[in-house]
Amino acid sequence: MSAPRPDYTTPHAADFALHEVTRRYQGVTALDAVSLSFAAGSTTALIGGSGAGKSTVLRLLLGLDWPDAGTVSAWGQPLQRDGLLALRQRVGYVIQEGGLFPHLTALGNLALQPRYLGWPAERIRQRAHELAELARLPVDALARYPAELSGGQRQRVALMRGLMADPDALLLDEPLGALDPIVRHELQDELKQIFSQLGKTVVVVTHDLAEAAWFADRLVLLRDGRVVQDGRYEDLRDRPADDFVRAFTHAQRALPGGAA
Amino acid sequence: MKRLVCLLLMLLPALGVAQPLRVGSKQFTESVILAELARGEAQRAGIDVEHRRELGGTAILWSALQHGDIDAYPEYTGTLTQELLKDVAPDAGIDALRARLAPMGIGITDSLGFDDNYAIGMREQRAEQLGIRSISDLAAHPEVRLGFSNEFMDRGDGWPGLRQRYGLPATRVRGLDHSLSYRALASGAVDVTDLYSTDAEIAYYHLRVLQDDRHYFPRYQAVFLYRLALERQSPVFVAALKRLVGRIDEPAMRRMNAQAKLEGQREADIAARFLGVPASGREDGFWQRLLHRTAEHVSLAAASLALAVLFAVPLGIVAARWRRLGQLVIGLTGILQTVPSLAMFVFMIPLFGIGAWPALAALFLYSLLPIVRNTHAGLLDIPLELRESASALGLPWRTRLTRVELPLATRSILAGIKTASVINVGTATLAALIGAGGYGQPILTGIRLNDISLILEGAVPAAVLAMLVQWLFEGIERWLTPRGLRIAARE
Repeated sequence: MSAPRPDYTTPHAADFALHEVTRRYQGVTALDAVSLSFAAGSTTALIGGSGAGKSTVLRLLLGLDWPDAGTVSAWGQPLQRDGLLALRQRVGYVIQEGGLFPHLTALGNLALQPRYLGWPAERIRQRAHELAELARLPVDALARYPAELSGGQRQRVALMRGLMADPDALLLDEPLGALDPIVRHELQDELKQIFSQLGKTVVVVTHDLAEAAWFADRLVLLRDGRVVQDGRYEDLRDRPADDFVRAFTHAQRALPGGAA
Repeated sequence: MKRLVCLLLMLLPALGVAQPLRVGSKQFTESVILAELARGEAQRAGIDVEHRRELGGTAILWSALQHGDIDAYPEYTGTLTQELLKDVAPDAGIDALRARLAPMGIGITDSLGFDDNYAIGMREQRAEQLGIRSISDLAAHPEVRLGFSNEFMDRGDGWPGLRQRYGLPATRVRGLDHSLSYRALASGAVDVTDLYSTDAEIAYYHLRVLQDDRHYFPRYQAVFLYRLALERQSPVFVAALKRLVGRIDEPAMRRMNAQAKLEGQREADIAARFLGVPASGREDGFWQRLLHRTAEHVSLAAASLALAVLFAVPLGIVAARWRRLGQLVIGLTGILQTVPSLAMFVFMIPLFGIGAWPALAALFLYSLLPIVRNTHAGLLDIPLELRESASALGLPWRTRLTRVELPLATRSILAGIKTASVINVGTATLAALIGAGGYGQPILTGIRLNDISLILEGAVPAAVLAMLVQWLFEGIERWLTPRGLRIAARE
């Protein structure tokens, strides 16, 4: 008998937690003794420049990567390799450009996980239509291949794929990073609406402070693998922890003419 | 996955053969004629004998006889003393050889009546011009270009020993196929080559046989070797072989060689005329021959390919999943690829005998690398974010493999299979050297007889088949590549 599988179903104050987590890649420290926890139902934005370690946090939470030191836990249980499938089925993961499988139609992409979970085709179709409405994707786009969809549509399908099995948490890594400004703006609105509507635990990675502030009550600013400041947007703006935070918030310049 | 499997089902024509007695021959005319003589003589005694023609060189025949894949073949005493039996006196007589061969289960007849010695020859005119009469005269002429048959280059009684005995300079020596060396000599591409003393071309091309003044070459009395077990199992056959003893003198043999090589007569007809029996079975018509060889060639290439796909795709998957093991697998299949094809065929003989099976095994091994490597590369080339997206959906490895990774790697895998199949069609022409038939058979015979039309009879269909295979796989690729990938590629 193997060790009992971790039980991720017990309700817990924090859905995800990192404790003193360090991760290095070939000598470069991506995370340096970082401790963070993400409360159930909260929306958190991880911000910072490239290489700050934001994406590494998400990858560690899903067990796509493992820490060199420290522990990662989900729903109160430390991550274990043989419990990963169950964990991942409860978490939706959406990345920049969507990560859609080019050999499957949009519906095929959506159906992959539920089919494995044993859903009947009709239920999959229903759920896909339901989510298409939520994500405002035209239904006929479901039959198309990723290469036949616009960038915005691809991103919507990726989000829908993350939501298919109604996960408890949603991890998004630069979900709007590859979109042009107009589509991006439109999707920001919709995403925020979806987050509040679904009430799931959301962790979103972005390098855009305004987007972070728009989505999340809580902003975690990372730099060189360390948490520099953790708080509301106003805290970062009005009480920056150091010069870097000040520089970061000021780098998001106001438009000329004062139309912020 | 299911589709890949259905691709594999284009396989397995029956490869088994029913077995009458089999006489083998080497890849040169005299050997083929002698084997035909044995077949004719046995037939007269009422025994049906199959002639496995032109089975490459001495090594192949010798090993096939020892493994019982053939029952008899014509050999020469000098080859036995110099090459096959390392521990006998170079001038051992047939009785001594018989005593030495008996424990190995091999019998030997007495001399058939002629010697076919190795000799060194030059064009008369060129020899006269340089004043060369004997082999030792060559030492004073480092400028002459030597071209020896490939077998002669390596044999214990060949070039290395000759060079040592006569103190010849080592420069400018080229290896050729024996069938080509006369043409090379005639065209002036080489000045000196090795001859067989019964070769018809000696007179035809006006060649001077250089005197072996230091008595380097041993005698090569023509004999038949046969499996001793036949003395019990088929005494009539052994008696038929022995009836040829002493019947063929040197002029007779040279005449028969000339009829085959210079007059283009069929070996079977020549043998029948010599024995005074009616010529057996007319040759198949062109289309019948082509059909027969195509069946042999295609079944060889297709069966080995199918088998390779069955093994190589899983190996490629394993190699992509476990990196360390993967390096090992790719390294090993890579080493297989570096084995020269003829050597690979010969290596297979102790394991599988001669005929279709060793050819199948050799082609199978050659097909592994392109498929393993392309499967491996195709899987590893899948962008990390796609592989991680599949992982992040909580799908187990097998589901990810069959639903995501293999479909995404389809193109690369098919390209590997296509490469393997084209290589297979080409390499299978060499399979004739170990008795597997196919398009290689007329090519071998054509080279031996200097008959271009016969060479083309094998080479042209082989080229056409390679092109057809290419087209076929392009069609399969279009059919199997997921539509979404085709659209993505067009964007």
